[in-house]
Amino acid sequence: MGALATTSTRASTRRSGWLIHRLVMIVTGLFFALWTLIPMYWIIATSLKTDLQVFRENTLYPTSPTLVNYHTILYQTNFLLYIRNSLEVALVVTTASMVFGSAAAYAIARLQFRGRSTIARGIVVSYLVPGSLLFISLFEVLNELNLTDQLTGLMVVYLSFTLPFCTWLMIGYFRSIPKELEEAALVDGCTRFRALVSIILPLTLPALVVVALFSFTQSWNEFLYALVFISSDSQKTFTVGLIGLIQGDTLPWSLMMAAATLGLIPPLIVYVISQRWVVSGLAAGSVKG
Amino acid sequence: MASYASTAAQNRARQRFLGRDWKLGWILVVPILIVLVGLIAYPFLLSIYLSFTDKMIGRPAHFVGLENYRDVMFGAEFGAVFWKSVLNTIAYTGGAVISKALIGMGMALFLHEEFRGRGAMRALCFLPWAIPSLIVGLSWKWIFYGTQAGMLNGILIDLGLSDTLIQWLGNPHLALASVTFVDIWAGCPFYGMMFLAGLQSIPRELYEAASMDGANVFGRFRHITVPSLAGVIAITMLLSTIWTANGFNLIYILTGGGPANASMTFPMFTYQVGIAGAQRLGAASSITVLFLPFFLILIYILTRHMLAEEL
Repeated sequence: MGALATTSTRASTRRSGWLIHRLVMIVTGLFFALWTLIPMYWIIATSLKTDLQVFRENTLYPTSPTLVNYHTILYQTNFLLYIRNSLEVALVVTTASMVFGSAAAYAIARLQFRGRSTIARGIVVSYLVPGSLLFISLFEVLNELNLTDQLTGLMVVYLSFTLPFCTWLMIGYFRSIPKELEEAALVDGCTRFRALVSIILPLTLPALVVVALFSFTQSWNEFLYALVFISSDSQKTFTVGLIGLIQGDTLPWSLMMAAATLGLIPPLIVYVISQRWVVSGLAAGSVKG
Repeated sequence: MASYASTAAQNRARQRFLGRDWKLGWILVVPILIVLVGLIAYPFLLSIYLSFTDKMIGRPAHFVGLENYRDVMFGAEFGAVFWKSVLNTIAYTGGAVISKALIGMGMALFLHEEFRGRGAMRALCFLPWAIPSLIVGLSWKWIFYGTQAGMLNGILIDLGLSDTLIQWLGNPHLALASVTFVDIWAGCPFYGMMFLAGLQSIPRELYEAASMDGANVFGRFRHITVPSLAGVIAITMLLSTIWTANGFNLIYILTGGGPANASMTFPMFTYQVGIAGAQRLGAASSITVLFLPFFLILIYILTRHMLAEEL
């Protein structure tokens, strides 16, 4: 009888523990969902109102949704050009970071040569040195090279933050691949280059995805360098172009939010495709936040 | 024959000195070497040199000794703003890093549990990480807007929680806190990702053993999770300290450092001195040099930590 009573209390504490757990999970889930979605919602909801509705009606939702802001942005401003410039920069930087980053990482992880560990140290330090310490003197460097006010200049400068990270992440990944795989290929008569391209690189695909996601997002989002180095309208990336829409002291909020929504599309596409590899990719290195 | 043998010996000696794969190795690292030297090391040294000159945009530089440092720290124009920016940078970075770590830990623990729709929830929680910080800043500037058209003021007044319009970004007492909040929103997914990656590497058996010994949720968190994650927590917070202190985009769009320098941190101050207002590249360089020791210490600790594991 006593034994039975204890069992049933234990069962009921377990059940109440389970209930509390479930409740905590639901509350936390709701909190984080709202936390992320409210600002997103507000951007999109505002972009579907006219400026008049924004200031007259004060509603939390668009009473009569309109696409007029998108029409204005696409047909009466240079916004599409800015988006194209951003895409161009981001794609070139991403490709270059993947190619040069894996090459250097392979050399550091697998080959033996003098200076290897010094370079590895240099890569880590460069990854950590923040841009706001360098932008003043980088402006001078680009001036000397006649690369200010050009997309090419931005591409070069963006490599300074994407390449060290990409290399660092790839070094960790190359190390996790057993040497024997490659040695077997070498014994079978493959050249080192063949072995790298046809055996090692396919195995590093998850890391390459993270590297691509990182380089693309960081180049797409970059603002400080673009603000300082670019002045002509034809060379503006979307971040600087977005700021250029502000005229005087008053912000055309509904227009800005429509532009922001458009600027969100490319990084969101890349994010949705590659996000499930991020956490495992992070285990190898660490991403700039 | 003899010369052939000696060339072979030379080759071997060279290989021993330069390493087995030196040719291929050096070819592969050339691109990153150019980046490291040309875009990091050289600008770094250049900014130290510029800080001792009167360099302005489009004009030649003259050596002026410590004048920039005197102007920036004690001059009539910049002195007060500089010290304000030091204090603001510390408050902003400290507040944001600690809050992001706490929320990020909550996020990681939540996402580590098993439940239906976990994949979608993960994608949702990490989403702010992928949003351009400029857009983050812009959307929060609009949420914080100081009339009833601003979402937050509209809701507070509708619900009767406030009877005046609160100037979240326009009130000198609130501006820095509001900016810090937005940085927390944008930054906590990075912590969540790092902590989750760490949680996934803790063996399940540890928790099972602790449960057997009668440890409850909090006991397991204190005695297993925290010690196992200590390294990840330290690295994440150190990295984030560097990046938070250097944050420019959010402050630029939200307040521009105002009102009355209430949210002026050092990157914004550097920008104002070097690019926006006075265009004094020399003086701006001296600001970055003054903040340099702090970052060098962090970089030194992190480099040791990160290389210890890898090399």
